[in-house]
Amino acid sequence: MSRYLDHDWFPESLPENVELGERTWLYSTYAFRHFQSRRTIGLRTGHDTGLYNGTFFDLGPNGEVSIGDYCTLVGAIICSNGRVEIGDYAFIAHEVVIADTFAALPGILGQNISAASEVHQSQKARIVIRENVWIGARAVLLDGADIGEGAIVGAAAVVDFHVPPFSVVAGNPGRIVKKIKS
Amino acid sequence: MSQAKYDVEPVTGQWDYDSLPSNIRVGQHCWIERRDSFGSFRSQQDPGLVLGNRVRVYTWTTFNVEPTGRMEVGDDCILAGPVFMCAERIAVGQRVMISYQVTIADSDFHPIDPEERKRDAVANAPFGDRSQRPAYQTRPVVIEDDVWIGIGAIILKGVRVGRGARIGAGAVLTSDVPPGAMVIGNPARVAHEDIT
Repeated sequence: MSRYLDHDWFPESLPENVELGERTWLYSTYAFRHFQSRRTIGLRTGHDTGLYNGTFFDLGPNGEVSIGDYCTLVGAIICSNGRVEIGDYAFIAHEVVIADTFAALPGILGQNISAASEVHQSQKARIVIRENVWIGARAVLLDGADIGEGAIVGAAAVVDFHVPPFSVVAGNPGRIVKKIKS
Repeated sequence: MSQAKYDVEPVTGQWDYDSLPSNIRVGQHCWIERRDSFGSFRSQQDPGLVLGNRVRVYTWTTFNVEPTGRMEVGDDCILAGPVFMCAERIAVGQRVMISYQVTIADSDFHPIDPEERKRDAVANAPFGDRSQRPAYQTRPVVIEDDVWIGIGAIILKGVRVGRGARIGAGAVLTSDVPPGAMVIGNPARVAHEDIT
């Protein structure tokens, strides 16, 4: 299997530790411009998932992302040196940032900048987006965010805590504003 | 298929920084990922922008500087994704880290008064006469040394962020932040007086 995308404007191949499922579409390998994951699997997606223009995987050496089936990422930035898990049917809108820390920065491209590594050193960070979650535009998910099945995160909400299944979280700081079903 | 359809140097930091306008001063050992970060740089001041030494500028960063604007960014800053909108002056100190999707503006760029805003809309039309735009207010923004600005924060005109302060994700700032404080939320409020 070719590690290049036929439609790609950027001339790089997919990183070796990236696995895209059947019929999954990635707009460009530019998404891995700051990808530094050295895990066996840095990114794995299921089948029929769309990773559209504006999506970036700015992972540190320990960064690991798994994305399920039938997910849509319209242009999220995932910046982690820990684990990010996204369940099946997730819809993640424009300009969402999923990051270990509030002042996250992209990988440092091999350069040793102590101040940056200070905010990028978390190795235990874990962010979980469960099945069928909808994340609104410009929302920010930080370490500790665990979005329950079927929940909705409102536009521009900031979340770093557990959101119960089938509820709506909104605002900054985020708070639970309603239940979708009981 | 491995051949480049596009010239990738302008998006990988490997372009010639000396090709920037002469009123942009780039310090030593800077790395600027995307040339188009300066696509809306229109400053007529000299210097219009000074980048210190070892500044790292990532792909999402944008310098929208009006003809009247002047900007400076100190040594060892890391700019992941600020959009600067500058009509007068935005000064960023040393070792400042600015995360993704941040906006920093020293003006609202449009008048408050409804009638003036109509005139502004007409002057700003695709074939309008922009010399007829009404005046708008500007107030400089100052970010002092060692500040960290979180994902998606918005910093508006006249704000001074004190040394070592931390601005939480999505915070919206319309007033000064004391040195060493952590602020969060919209509208931003001080969560911790002194995090040092």
